[in-house]
Amino acid sequence: MKWNNVQFGEMDFEEKHVVYFPDGIIGFEDHRKFLVVNDESSEPFRWLVSLEDGELSFPVIDPALVRNGYTRQYLAMDDVTVFSIVAIRNDAVQTTVNLKSPIVINNRDRTGRQIVLDSDALNVREPLTRLAAPVLE
Amino acid sequence: MLILTRKLEESIRIGDTITIKVLAVSDGQVKLGIDAPKDLKVHRSEVYEEIQRLNREAAKTSKTDVSSAAAALKQRPPGA
Repeated sequence: MKWNNVQFGEMDFEEKHVVYFPDGIIGFEDHRKFLVVNDESSEPFRWLVSLEDGELSFPVIDPALVRNGYTRQYLAMDDVTVFSIVAIRNDAVQTTVNLKSPIVINNRDRTGRQIVLDSDALNVREPLTRLAAPVLE
Repeated sequence: MLILTRKLEESIRIGDTITIKVLAVSDGQVKLGIDAPKDLKVHRSEVYEEIQRLNREAAKTSKTDVSSAAAALKQRPPGA
């Protein structure tokens, strides 16, 4: 299948890779279909690209790269892929990661949700100056 | 806005499925217990609004900015 995004141009994707968000993403409740996109120049960041709005995409990162043991400690869910939305300010000098409300994708049925964790140790804007763990290939 | 006064341990019901109970009051803080169906999302307003703001900001991020941030990270070795 094909999709056009202003940043990524024409993209080819398979239906089975589409992630369906029944409640959308917070602030974007009407957007239900997304694709996780790897872009070499963005690594270790990845992208969550809307398949309904060609101008909408979010940079994301695996929160375990930002805080060791994140998924085990805060989510304790099996068979999920977890991302945190990234905000970049001041010409990429100031990068923050939302550890408080991760995007959780159920690998079995490819549904995604942005949940809010009830922990004071997690910030919506956690500064990211260096990775907590090396990226595993 | 409907305004109700409740004492400690008293509660209010919203519809058939939601109950909010006052569990503790001290030092200007009120502790509430909320019983609601699992599919109903309950959030602290200020956290929810902050996430909304952040998502709207992140949605405008360019590939160029992400590449720059990625390059900056690569200059620093992983570690605490």
